[in-house]
Amino acid sequence: MIDFTKSAGFNLAARHRAETRFQWMGKGAILLALAFLAWLIVTIAVGGYGATKLVQIAIPVDLSATNIDPNNIAAARFGKIVKLGLRTRFPEVKKRKDKKKLYNLLSTEASFELKRAILADPKLLGGTRKIWFTASDTLSLYVRGKTNVSVPEDQRRISDKEIAWAADMQKNAEIRTVFNWGFFTHGDSREPEIAGILAALIGTALSLAVCFLLSFPLGIAAATYLEQFAPANRLSDIIEVNINNLAAVPSIVFGLLGLSIFLGYFGLPRSSPLVGGMVLSLMTLPTIIIASRASLKSVPPSIKEAALALGATPVQAVFHHVFPVALPGMLTGAIIGMARALGDTAPLLMIGMVAFIVDIPKSILAPATALPVQIFLWSDSPERGFMEKTSAAIVVLLIFLIAMNLIAILLRRKLEQRF
Amino acid sequence: MSDPIIRAQNVDVFYADKQALFGVDLKIEEKQVTSLIGPSGCGKSTFLRAINRMNDLIPICRFRGSLKIDGQDVYAPAVDVVSLRAQVGMVFQKPNPFPKSIRENVAYGLKIHRLTSSKSELDGRIEHSLKSAGLWDEVADRLDEPGTSLSGGQQQRLCIARTIAVEPRVILMDEPCSALDPIATAVIEELIDKLRRDFTIVIVTHSMQQAARISQRTAFFHLGKLVEVGSTKQVFTNPVEERTQNYITGRIG
Ligand SMILES: Nc1ncnc2c1ncn2[C@@H]1O[C@H](COP(=O)(O)OP(=O)(O)O)[C@@H](O)[C@H]1O
Ligand SMILES: [Mg+2]
Repeated sequence: MIDFTKSAGFNLAARHRAETRFQWMGKGAILLALAFLAWLIVTIAVGGYGATKLVQIAIPVDLSATNIDPNNIAAARFGKIVKLGLRTRFPEVKKRKDKKKLYNLLSTEASFELKRAILADPKLLGGTRKIWFTASDTLSLYVRGKTNVSVPEDQRRISDKEIAWAADMQKNAEIRTVFNWGFFTHGDSREPEIAGILAALIGTALSLAVCFLLSFPLGIAAATYLEQFAPANRLSDIIEVNINNLAAVPSIVFGLLGLSIFLGYFGLPRSSPLVGGMVLSLMTLPTIIIASRASLKSVPPSIKEAALALGATPVQAVFHHVFPVALPGMLTGAIIGMARALGDTAPLLMIGMVAFIVDIPKSILAPATALPVQIFLWSDSPERGFMEKTSAAIVVLLIFLIAMNLIAILLRRKLEQRF
Repeated sequence: MSDPIIRAQNVDVFYADKQALFGVDLKIEEKQVTSLIGPSGCGKSTFLRAINRMNDLIPICRFRGSLKIDGQDVYAPAVDVVSLRAQVGMVFQKPNPFPKSIRENVAYGLKIHRLTSSKSELDGRIEHSLKSAGLWDEVADRLDEPGTSLSGGQQQRLCIARTIAVEPRVILMDEPCSALDPIATAVIEELIDKLRRDFTIVIVTHSMQQAARISQRTAFFHLGKLVEVGSTKQVFTNPVEERTQNYITGRIG
């Protein structure tokens, strides 16, 4: 009788061991990769968390008619009023040098904040009011415990005097930490406590929209022609090889091309999302074409044959039957290509989307910057506060990426046909 | 005997330098089932696809000779393959319904050729075609489900319904049952026998029993040549050629 429980002669135990070993190695590799990914995301998230915090200090400001003419609010000297308020709060500060330190507690944005507050609510006028202002980067980092105070005074940016003032205000609950909405509603700024991501986000969204509108129709049209209609000859081979090569060309080369053609020759506006999107579509096109061709190739030819045998013209056969089946795959290819474009900085640097942009771009012709460029710019800034902004901007970029992929998946689900 | 509807004279077909058909002369009678038999690779499909010019899709494929349907030269320069294929339908080896609903599968040919002028007329033609293909009772209440959700045999009948919807004169079938089980095959064979009343059918089959069961005429191909053609009864019981004899008794194949 056969006994299946006994090991046969051909080294069954060793074969099972090899199998187990291999499975564990595979699992180990995946685990390691996941661990690195988790580490990366946690580091960035922790680093960027601070950017969501905004430290504010309350200053009593004199808004009586002596300082502000209610009929001509804009003419008031808000900077002076705020400084006056600081001096009223700390009357003991007399020396010029100390006064300067005192003013350093506040962000330079404070005067604009006061102006905005009064314009929004004129009832504030006519007396002394306590108003919350954005603290300076230095104070903000100290309040949030990001400053090492154990080192000698001359080696840190916050002086002992400032620390004492801060302690006094903290005692009186005149310092608070709030959620930093400004990070999502402001453009860039020289001051880290004011700098926001919105201008770069809009710039990226506009560029990607231009990129999609240009490269998707062009890409799928090219892919459909090459895959379904082009005669199989030497010329088609050359085109195929060159498209594959283009997909591997460093993006900065496309940036240079855009610089010389779109800016130099056509004279389109520098730093604009229009040109940015055009350059990105140059580098996305090969990816879209390759992915779309693969998607078209995977449609069983029997479907096209069936249509042709019924008397459909080749164009009808392709557009009625092959194209709809391939469309979800083409869309995925486009989104993958655009995801690559989303993270690319080099070509945008070439066409000047590296400018310091405070205003939110209102059109595809307005000067703009993009998320990866913004990250690059902030990571290059010496201020401590910009380090947090850099991490936070990376998180925003990742969320953008995830959102794009999510849209791709949802669209796929919706469009996919059952075979 | 009436005039043949298809008349092939001295047909050579080449794939690049390789000749696949050698001087085939074959007449196919109207409203009969003609089966093409022969060992695999002998050129049956090549001949079949020459009739509706599906071979045109293969860039390396060249045709020489004369092939007339109803007296018209299929390969004349003025011929439009679109109208040719509207008159000469084709059913493939592997069922290949469109990945669309059952209704759209049948409606497709009618739509591209604008054969119906109203929705109700279209629905009527769809129902009529599905009935002729013996599929109506099985799908009447699920016309909007994908054609690919049907069983293999049903899919093949859907492909037949799709083909007959445009009312071609000739239907070409390339081993339509080779992917099906015996029961589905029997259903299709019965259907083919019925369709013979309205259509001329040319069917390639690797099963000699099938050829014997469903066809009135049989053509035997071997190594790219038409060896013998005659009434099915005569070819199977009293072949003229020795090679035919050898094939039907299983000595070549
Ligand atoms: N697309 C093609 N390219 C090149 N040779 C082909 C092609 N199709 C068929 N052939 C060749 O033509 C011959 C006949 O093929 P085919 O007509 O498919 O035979 P059958 O249908 O009788 O099995 C075979 O030798 C086959 O290799
Ligand atoms: Mg064949």
